[in-house]
Amino acid sequence: MEKSNEEKQLRPGLWATVNERYPGSMITKTDFIPLAKLIKPLAESRLSFVSTSGVQLRGTLPFDTAHPIGDYTFRAVPSNSKTSDLEIHQLKYPTAGAERDLNVIYPIERMQELAAEKIIGELAPNFYSFIGYNMDAERLERTLAETIADAVEAEKPDVVLLAPA
Amino acid sequence: MQRVIEKRGIPTVSVSVALDVTLHIKPPRAVFLPFMMGHLFGVPFHKNLQREIILTALSRIEQAKQSGDVYFFPKTWAQARKEGKEVESNLEAAD
Amino acid sequence: MSLTYLKEAVDANDTEKLIRYVRLHFGDGDEDAGKKEIDKAWIEALKLLLEVPATEREFIEQTIKEKDAETLAHLYFRLHFYFVARSNEWIHDGKI
Repeated sequence: MEKSNEEKQLRPGLWATVNERYPGSMITKTDFIPLAKLIKPLAESRLSFVSTSGVQLRGTLPFDTAHPIGDYTFRAVPSNSKTSDLEIHQLKYPTAGAERDLNVIYPIERMQELAAEKIIGELAPNFYSFIGYNMDAERLERTLAETIADAVEAEKPDVVLLAPA
Repeated sequence: MQRVIEKRGIPTVSVSVALDVTLHIKPPRAVFLPFMMGHLFGVPFHKNLQREIILTALSRIEQAKQSGDVYFFPKTWAQARKEGKEVESNLEAAD
Repeated sequence: MSLTYLKEAVDANDTEKLIRYVRLHFGDGDEDAGKKEIDKAWIEALKLLLEVPATEREFIEQTIKEKDAETLAHLYFRLHFYFVARSNEWIHDGKI
């Protein structure tokens, strides 16, 4: 499919570049997961949000960006948090925009507004954060992914939005 | 991660600025934006764009007809930045 | 990396692959930048000790004696970032 230059990603060849530097770290899947259905209208649905941008509550143990193999923990972020309650700990993407307005990477205020306006039914009590920089894809899939999915599922969302860095 | 949640029967959608990574990972539904890393939801203070991206992503839950669907958000980074500057100057003018 | 790649390098004593990984980690994916970062951290640490200031030697010796090797290794990586931050030439996009 031909796309104009402006529609292409700004950093081309990201997967290949990262995989060349850190062989085997980048995931490739060969199959597709059957789509789950939304059972209620969005205006009646509970939304959860999972982010790998390193956003967490101030005062919680900072995501570990020093560790050479990565951080395999996650944090719960109450969905009614103010942006001033939150901070970012990560080294792998430019945060200048997020420092001015956290919503460019973690649109918590926008989601709160959409729920208040009943465009979305409600927000799950907690959103979940983890760090995208982790070099052990197998460990991630085996442990952290299932643990986070358990935490997300326990709050019974009807739909989940995910965002990387 | 997204695939794990979808397997549990909860519909999911993700946003991405790295199309090649998305195509490798094959999430159930994704929205691609040709934006800078760290700016998944647009530019500072441009609330309308941030909302639009969230709602576009959520609309893909019903609109995506097959798993692996990637929707190309119809705005360039240059347009987003230009609009963002206008939003900011209007905010400053109001102060 | 895939851990397999790094573990194989350890088994083969492929020091080039291993140090390249460390440099990439410190250099945000740029090996040359990572080399400079390593030097920078050591230079910052050296500068602090030129006047032979009083330091907590007992704490240092106690820490090495009491803490497990893994914690000390983690501390070593963390200290790198502490010292490069002191240089005021922070090359990373975000914050530690």
